[in-house]
Amino acid sequence: MKIDTLFIDKTIPQNLEIDYIISRIAADPQWVENTKTVYDYINDADDPILKAKKTLYITRNKGAVIKACPGTSFYTCCDYTILHTGTFCTMDCSYCILQAYFHPPVLQYFAGLKTLGHSLEKTFRQNKIFRIGTGEYTDSLIWEKISLQPKFLIETFAKQNNCLLELKTKTVNIESILPLDHNEKTVIAWSLNTPDIISSEEKGTASLKARLEAAKLVESKGYKLAFHFDPMVIYPECEIQYKKVVKQIFEYVRPESIVWISIGTFRFMPKLKQIIEKRFKHSTIPYGEFILGLDNKMRYFKPLRIKIYKEIISCIKEYAPNLMVYFCMEDEEVWEKCIGFFPEKEGELGHLLDKSAVKHCSLNSNLL
Amino acid sequence: MSDCLCEINISDIDLTDERYKISFSNKDIGLLARSFRETGLIYPPIVMPLNNKFIIVSGFNRIRAHIHNNKVHNNGIKILVYETKPDTTDYQYLLKSIASLAFQRQLTIAELIICVRRLYQFLDKQQIAKKSPAIFNTELAEGFIGDLLTIADLPDTALELIHTGNLSFKSAKRISLLEKNTVMVFLDLFSKIHASQNKQLEIILYIMEICARDAIKPKVFYTNKEIQDILSDEQKDPGLKTKDLRTCLFEQRFPIIFKTQQKVKEKITSIKLGNSIKISPPENLDSQTYSISFTVKNYKEFIANVQNLNAGLENKKLKELFNQ
Repeated sequence: MKIDTLFIDKTIPQNLEIDYIISRIAADPQWVENTKTVYDYINDADDPILKAKKTLYITRNKGAVIKACPGTSFYTCCDYTILHTGTFCTMDCSYCILQAYFHPPVLQYFAGLKTLGHSLEKTFRQNKIFRIGTGEYTDSLIWEKISLQPKFLIETFAKQNNCLLELKTKTVNIESILPLDHNEKTVIAWSLNTPDIISSEEKGTASLKARLEAAKLVESKGYKLAFHFDPMVIYPECEIQYKKVVKQIFEYVRPESIVWISIGTFRFMPKLKQIIEKRFKHSTIPYGEFILGLDNKMRYFKPLRIKIYKEIISCIKEYAPNLMVYFCMEDEEVWEKCIGFFPEKEGELGHLLDKSAVKHCSLNSNLL
Repeated sequence: MSDCLCEINISDIDLTDERYKISFSNKDIGLLARSFRETGLIYPPIVMPLNNKFIIVSGFNRIRAHIHNNKVHNNGIKILVYETKPDTTDYQYLLKSIASLAFQRQLTIAELIICVRRLYQFLDKQQIAKKSPAIFNTELAEGFIGDLLTIADLPDTALELIHTGNLSFKSAKRISLLEKNTVMVFLDLFSKIHASQNKQLEIILYIMEICARDAIKPKVFYTNKEIQDILSDEQKDPGLKTKDLRTCLFEQRFPIIFKTQQKVKEKITSIKLGNSIKISPPENLDSQTYSISFTVKNYKEFIANVQNLNAGLENKKLKELFNQ
């Protein structure tokens, strides 16, 4: 989705960071007194979500820059840390929870690289391993085309050794980051899905082939990689298709370059269903066999989840027996039945991921 | 603009012209007729002169009751009515027909739909909402009027089903958004069963989702033999048909869940732990927490249940249930 409207918070000083964004967007900047102008502009549209994807608002982050991932009750969480650098996305995935999460959704870029740097400095000084990502509320690399933020983050993380930066994306926006000195501290992660799902549900994203080619290219520049099969969508013969994707991963990149692979089936807040039905009339993903999970999100019926997980995990293990594979938000039964163990203790899954981060990204092993 | 109170011959009324009829009630007018015999006609009907005859604007049942009381007189029946003035407009007739009923009793949804549809020829939604207290004896929100108008576009069968309670307002609103063939499917279906509003909505939801998932038209899905067998079974009352239909739709919408639930249910039934011990599987089978409970009236029963539970430790089927 091409950004065609640019709003900038009047309190943001015009500097190199802002000038760069303005120069990259084919729209005259409109300086606004407050957020209401932007909200009204978006809410007035017939499809505010679509409008929001084309409207960039440069503002400052008024909340916490670094925060713990909220996770969800009853299911095992990976103790991730979120770097809150922006919100929403220019791509249009039918299942995207951000459509229902923000009211209204606004594509925000949080300006202030200096402030970002200061916040990170505090984290870098802690005697603890952190896995930090910007891909929770936005796609990490949509910003590569229009801002200096990804570059700044990669170079900032390169100078420390207790934090891993994970840039999670469905784009192939890697050009400007290829020559950077990342010092192995940045993991470029791709959300992957089957070509069927990419073409039917992930509008505006890069193809599977393009994502894997991009992965291969960043790998050649020494970056470590991660892949996220999330959300996996259950449909007839999906097992075969997902296994093909796994096979393709290892045709493009070496298992040693992969820090982790996460897996999670499609789950959603009940109100997302109406949004999908309204905005993606041909999508059939809300019509799977869902039940209301313990966290009040709709999830595939557990035996179905277990079946697809078993298939894909055994396939991954064929190619990379020692690769760290984990579930995003699953319970003991799923862990036990699909992986053979359950990180029962609080922080245990996080610790396993930290170990993989230390091993692959040359972090300080004394902090484990 | 007051109407003229006068006595006219029933034979001068064109009873076939029901253009101002709102009420669906062709109910038994026995009680009304009896009331007339005891107390006389308290509120005379309103009629309008048309082509040397009169047509009824309000009071269809009162006139029927009056005829019922005077059957023996054949052509000579007279009735006291309000005759409207010749300069009364169509809009004024409509107002009279609605207000005279609405100020007697609360209009049903089906009646509201008819009234709003007719009023919409003269007023827009906002105007209807504004005038509603004076016309309907209650305030109607503009959005609600919009919904009534949307439902009014459905075929007339819908109104009848709403009137009989076979189709709820919410269900009618839901199906009014669908294409014509699909609407006809649901009207036919709801004419054959009797379900509460939530069950109607569930039926609509499941059918629409099955069709979306399988890329088939609801009209085609509706020809499904299993469904048709349920609906056409004359031995079953509408309530039982609803139950069977819901089970059938659930199975088709959630085949794996249905099968698994059945399996668990069968396993639980096969575990004989005594009649008073109840095993409940985890909700949606998503957690691992089974609930096992019993109630007792005295210590003896308590001991018996504990012994049954102890015996269950060796029960293979119980083990299977937890290890599936």
